[in-house]
Amino acid sequence: MKISGNIKYHIVLIAALFISLMPIIFAISTSFKELSEAYSNVLGIIPIKPTLDNYLRAFNGLPLGRIIYNTFIVAAVVTIFKIGTSLLAAYAFVYFKFPGKNILYFLLISTIFIPFTITMIPNYLLVAQMGLRNNIIGVILPQLSDATGIFLIRQAMRLIPTSLIEAAQLEQASHLQILSGIVLPLIRPAVISTSIMFFINAWNEYVWPVLILKDTSNYTLPLALQLFISSEGGTDFSMAMAVAVITMIIPLGLYLVFQRYIINTFTSSGIKG
Amino acid sequence: MENILDRLIVGKKNKAKIVLLPYTLLFPAVAVFLIFMFYPLFYTIYLSFLDWNMISPLKQFVGWKNYITLLYDPLMPVIIKNTLAYIVILLVLNCIAPYILAFILSFVIQRGRNFYKGAFFLPSVISLVVGSILYLWILNPVGGPIAIIADFVGITIPIWTKTQGMVIVVLSIITTWKIFGYNFIVVFGGVTGVPQEIIEAARMDNVPLHRIFWDIVLPLSSATGVYIFIMTIVQGLQYVFTPIKVVTQGGPDNASSNVIYNVYQEGFLLYHTGYASAFSLAAMLIFIGLLVIEFKYVEKGIYYEN
Repeated sequence: MKISGNIKYHIVLIAALFISLMPIIFAISTSFKELSEAYSNVLGIIPIKPTLDNYLRAFNGLPLGRIIYNTFIVAAVVTIFKIGTSLLAAYAFVYFKFPGKNILYFLLISTIFIPFTITMIPNYLLVAQMGLRNNIIGVILPQLSDATGIFLIRQAMRLIPTSLIEAAQLEQASHLQILSGIVLPLIRPAVISTSIMFFINAWNEYVWPVLILKDTSNYTLPLALQLFISSEGGTDFSMAMAVAVITMIIPLGLYLVFQRYIINTFTSSGIKG
Repeated sequence: MENILDRLIVGKKNKAKIVLLPYTLLFPAVAVFLIFMFYPLFYTIYLSFLDWNMISPLKQFVGWKNYITLLYDPLMPVIIKNTLAYIVILLVLNCIAPYILAFILSFVIQRGRNFYKGAFFLPSVISLVVGSILYLWILNPVGGPIAIIADFVGITIPIWTKTQGMVIVVLSIITTWKIFGYNFIVVFGGVTGVPQEIIEAARMDNVPLHRIFWDIVLPLSSATGVYIFIMTIVQGLQYVFTPIKVVTQGGPDNASSNVIYNVYQEGFLLYHTGYASAFSLAAMLIFIGLLVIEFKYVEKGIYYEN
């Protein structure tokens, strides 16, 4: 009785998993099918005649090398900047008392609730004025104002026993020494998972780049993929799947490597401020 | 004497430094927020009082006109109805469903916990453009895998991109594919915070599972519950922009547009800069309301949780 009850629940979970993972398997499988097979052997997971043709055609038809490079630069710069500024800001919020601290923290965290539509038009005008429209620096800049890093890293820093910090201060350690020698090693998992999520999110960012990028050679991967979409489903489906696989392979790889850190950080991220 | 004086000066210097240091540390973060978040916020307020098309050198101050237009916009009821539909569907799929699954996984069956957590989170790291194109194909009414399987049992898949109502459901499902995993992980964290002993005692007394869920788990994890409720709405309405933009462009006949997409349409497709700004500020009222709830309940910690 008990066992059959549990199996029932496993079936529910596996069914939910099947729905969420099937599209990914499906995309990978189709990207290795010939175009005709993509339409004739829709349900087959393993391609009858596996081919790299879709990938080759994608690289020939689009400046994909350039596009991957753009995507990488945007994601890397955004990640490094946000992690650096979040670390400093979180350190200030956790280890200092200063006038305006609470109101400033409140203001920064509140921005998580501001929808992008509010800042979209002025940021567009601003970036255009700087002459950075159709330029990946213009893609990077507005993405830097994101408070989630400050929030997550502050959460992690607050878990460090204050006695450790006080002991270091007694020994005249400078703040730089405390940050790099004591705090950073202790919050390493949170810093790693936050960096990975920053990188992945910037890699996937679509809304802002689609507003300002015009030339295909300046595109990031999600924009390149969008070229294949029409509401009828697109025509060259197997090539679209190859570009989809290229778009998701880096985030997936990073996630699989750092899964443990990421899951742990986000498991505790929801609760309290 | 000189030594003491020296020390005094150094001491004074240090003090001044210490007061300034936190501001110095905060400066880089605050600077980008001022330029790309707070300045634009106020600029949007300014724009909302203008009649402007984003390009013309002529900006005409029109007072509250844009806000009044808002009230009489024939699209408004449609947009509000659609937005509410998105909110309800997203909440069912990304708030209620993760709660139930997290409950099952933490108290009913425990085997394979890490596997399920890891696997459910996986789609969260993939671009929504990828999600959109995948679902466009999978749910393609002509020749997509679901259509083929449905065909065996004699069901035809409607052309959902062109069907009122249906289109919102499918776009919400695509968005769910992206946000479900994150929500599940966070809810799981909250649910496992409920002491195991209480659950076990209740199970010993043969309390039915749904009662354990309602009477014990839900109230004891309410801070997480409120947080995820709010984040589902705040993030969900913004995330759903991507599938709307790439799949339907708000169509058919604005049937899949929401408050976020409509601002984009007014601002970047119709060039009603002033009106789009007024609209986005009005829409932000929803988000401010949620922010108030968040700070009132979640940040202070609800009930018993911790």
